[in-house]
Amino acid sequence: MIDPLQTVLIVAALVLALVTGGYVALDRSPDRVLIALIGLLEIGLVVQAVVGIAQLVGGSGDPGITFVGYLLAALVVLPLGLLWSLGERSRGATAVLIVALLTVAFLVVRLEQIHAAA
Amino acid sequence: MPRPDPAVASRRSTSTGLGRALVATYAVFALAATARSAVQLLTKASDAPLAYALSAVAAVVYVLATLGLAEVGPRPRTMAWAAVGFELVGVLTVGTLTVLDPELFPDATVWSAYGQGYGYLPLVLPFLGIAWLLRTRPRD
Repeated sequence: MIDPLQTVLIVAALVLALVTGGYVALDRSPDRVLIALIGLLEIGLVVQAVVGIAQLVGGSGDPGITFVGYLLAALVVLPLGLLWSLGERSRGATAVLIVALLTVAFLVVRLEQIHAAA
Repeated sequence: MPRPDPAVASRRSTSTGLGRALVATYAVFALAATARSAVQLLTKASDAPLAYALSAVAAVVYVLATLGLAEVGPRPRTMAWAAVGFELVGVLTVGTLTVLDPELFPDATVWSAYGQGYGYLPLVLPFLGIAWLLRTRPRD
């Protein structure tokens, strides 16, 4: 797998979770800047999924169904989290984004572990 | 009957405010447990039937808790209470059994060793769920 990209994704997700924590502390709703940054992270996750599946099809290693599952799960978490978060204006609703971002960071870490084990 | 005050009504909702973040957390576990259980049952069901059946049960419990707290379905509060209660009993029972006898479940489940593999969140989550259901409970 492409380790530098995954490191960037993990760091970006954690930093964004921290930033979102600031929004929650200040009781601010997500603005365009925050949503755009999360969009950028999502693009990175799409790249990861494309490269990951391409490598799988190319036949370098066989991490299998779990690997693909994690790749695809990492893709849906942010869009679903954004939808659920933007449905309401409250601290709790903004905190949904923290849950989503930490989940993404966890998924990418697990992806690396699965890939290293394979 | 007095007209319901919207502010009071939302305070009694389990899916607004902090509840939204709680529903999101339960949704993550519902997704994780369902995916894990599906992979286990599809690829190696006969290896550790008890552990895998338990994984499937945990997945159903998390899905029902998520739906209940998100106020989906006819009696969401009852469903949420049942699911979160089952979750608490499940994580305490399975956690204790796996700590006492690690051989009992040869492959890990969400609740093994009190959810150690998931940063002990599976142990904390039912307490948060119960606290939230108590705080939002309907009063007259």
